Amino acid sequence: MALTASGRWFDGRSAAPHEVTLHLGERLEITGLEVHRDWNLTDLRAGEGQAPLLRLGIAGDPGHVEVVDPSFAACLETRCPDLRKRADAGGGTWRLVAGSLAVGIAVLLTVFFGLPIAAGVLAPLVPAGIEARLGTAVEAQVLDLMGDPPPCAEPAGRAVLDRLVARLAAGRGLPPDLAVTVRRHDTANAVTLPGARVVVLSELIAKARSADEFAGVLAHELGHVALRDPTRALIQASGTSFLLSLVLGDLTGSTVIVALGQAVLSAGYSRDAERAADAYSVAAMRSAGGDAAALASMLERIAKDEADADPALLRSHPFTRERAATIRAHAGARDPDRHILSDADWMQLRGICPGATDGPDKPAPKPRPSQRRRV
Amino acid sequence: MSRTGQVAFDTRLRGLTGLAIVGFLLSLVTFGVYRFWYMTDLRRFFWSRTVVDGSPADYTGTGRELFLGFLAALGLLIVIYVGLFGLAIALPSLAPYSAILSFVILFLLGQFAIYRGRRYRAMRTLWRGIRLGQDGSGLAYAGRAALWWALTLATLGLAFPFMRAGLERYRIAHTLIGTSRMASDARGRALFGPWLLFYAVALGPVLALLLALIAANDFVPPIDLMLPKPGGKGGDLILNPAYAGTRIATLAVALGITAGCCLPLSLLLVPFYRARETRVFMNAARLGPVRLVSTLRARQFYWPYLVYALSLLGFVVVVGLIALLAGLAARAAGGDGLAWAAVLGGGLLYLGGALAFAVLYVRVVQARLWAAVATTTQVADADGLNRILAASHGPGSGLNEGLADALDVGGALQIGF
Repeated sequence: MALTASGRWFDGRSAAPHEVTLHLGERLEITGLEVHRDWNLTDLRAGEGQAPLLRLGIAGDPGHVEVVDPSFAACLETRCPDLRKRADAGGGTWRLVAGSLAVGIAVLLTVFFGLPIAAGVLAPLVPAGIEARLGTAVEAQVLDLMGDPPPCAEPAGRAVLDRLVARLAAGRGLPPDLAVTVRRHDTANAVTLPGARVVVLSELIAKARSADEFAGVLAHELGHVALRDPTRALIQASGTSFLLSLVLGDLTGSTVIVALGQAVLSAGYSRDAERAADAYSVAAMRSAGGDAAALASMLERIAKDEADADPALLRSHPFTRERAATIRAHAGARDPDRHILSDADWMQLRGICPGATDGPDKPAPKPRPSQRRRV
Repeated sequence: MSRTGQVAFDTRLRGLTGLAIVGFLLSLVTFGVYRFWYMTDLRRFFWSRTVVDGSPADYTGTGRELFLGFLAALGLLIVIYVGLFGLAIALPSLAPYSAILSFVILFLLGQFAIYRGRRYRAMRTLWRGIRLGQDGSGLAYAGRAALWWALTLATLGLAFPFMRAGLERYRIAHTLIGTSRMASDARGRALFGPWLLFYAVALGPVLALLLALIAANDFVPPIDLMLPKPGGKGGDLILNPAYAGTRIATLAVALGITAGCCLPLSLLLVPFYRARETRVFMNAARLGPVRLVSTLRARQFYWPYLVYALSLLGFVVVVGLIALLAGLAARAAGGDGLAWAAVLGGGLLYLGGALAFAVLYVRVVQARLWAAVATTTQVADADGLNRILAASHGPGSGLNEGLADALDVGGALQIGF
């Protein structure tokens, strides 16, 4: 049975339509003025479109025909098996899903395992001058985030601090531009930034029960300086955010992953880095003649205060116990009469922030869990 | 007697919902990689259902081309980011301006990407077997856009419609259908009225108060007006007590309130301006003797947004009620398991909501806006279309559009020409 319909032929060279007649039999014949085509039904392909309009063509022929005839279209659908087959089809979607999953997992593996290694290799290669400039930029940003805490530099306390830093750093190959500053802030914390900058917050001094406790934390931060942890963390964080946000694109679900990744990774240094800085602190305190175990007490106290303020804060508390135990095991025998600073010096250091809330009787300030713990 | 051709769009949208659901979910599980294929499917759907003078358009782009273009653009972006970073490190005197510098470079790049993305879409569009095309230079376009934006800022936004018309003229004048070049006589003057209305309601009061504020402060921007709140978080600001009771403080408060009122109002006026602009631009486009005639009404642009906003509101209300019920149930039971169930339910609702809104956005906003533009457009002197001849150029490189996607400018579907 043959079917006939009229349609419009477009030759692919001009947009002018040519009236043609289509005969559908064993093959599709298209005839009109100066147009004659005889197409094999298995070669026939329909363009996607608005029914009942049908756009028909075959590969290799620049011309195509447009037909508006529902019964003719229905008949064609039954006789041409590959009418709706697309040139680019063929299981591509599942291959694509598997491939992009593999790429996504590779990116995640790179972020979690490759970047820390790369950052460890790259950080020592950063020239000191560039690191110093990075430090300037990062310090401005960090201070801004903390609400621009004012610097503290009472000369007597400052002199004690300088001597203490010199003793803890003696013979340990720290960068010559090491700069320790104190700023008034109600969080017991100290932050090490790229370019050998250490910012001590006044509440840390207030919370220390002895000079050794404070010196232990200070030496821990110097350990981060010696190991170049801030630069490493900076390289790692920028690499992470760049990889995740650019490669994963802008989709809702992926954005959540990006945010999570940044939150997890920016929570602080890795546990290995903290352990290494602890070991540095113990070694520096022992050779400077202080009580190396005091760092452990200080860590436990800060962790306890945080947990009191926010019971949901589960993060790293078993880790704190483990660190404290390791510190005590390596601290050696303690001579109760030896302190890293004389009582007079310690009093002067405590006075480095004149007017800062001081003494054990003041109400405990609430630490902010949102702030990075770098102790 | 010249014949008028119709532009039609199939508003039954059969199959679009499935396309959007599959596209959204696959994009999710492939970390967004599938979006290039999804975008391609959407375009093929919309193009093939848009029938100009009896013949449908045909989109021949592929997801693979878009993806490869994206990868190439990513490489370029990495080089630019690293270069900018290196510049800021190498020349510390430049460091304070590095944010401005990267903004300028990324703006130029964005405009370049918009133009090249349009070129890609034109070259992948066939109508009656005739391939569309776009010549002109992306750099020239980016330069023009930068100059126009500078002029717009200098005139406090008054030059905006002239900028839009100027850039439209450039785009259309470099659009080819086969060998025939299009032309546009879009004039900013025709848009000035709608823009002034938008301006008077949305921008004018804010700008006037801002100027008054600066004038009251002897033409020095009062940078110390807001101070960090003592004891507050980093972002908390308070009015500087030194200004208390002065005219400057009154103006500042008025400015805050006006900005709070005008910005939502301006959002309400955006569809009005967009509809007027689309109509003016459509009416200005021509191809030899062939002209487009648009009778687009602003209300046709409001309806899709209204439906979308109402569904958004309804969804939020439903989610709020569910959360409330879950919270009450949790309190009654007092168990920990219910809290987890609530978290799980919340996560599912989030995903379901994201899916629902992605699909609704395509079906309601994009499809209806597209339909509104298409069905209100006619082709005057349509017989002139028959004189269009195919050009010999091929489809061109697929790398053009990648930059637009990497920079996240330009959507899958752009309304208008």
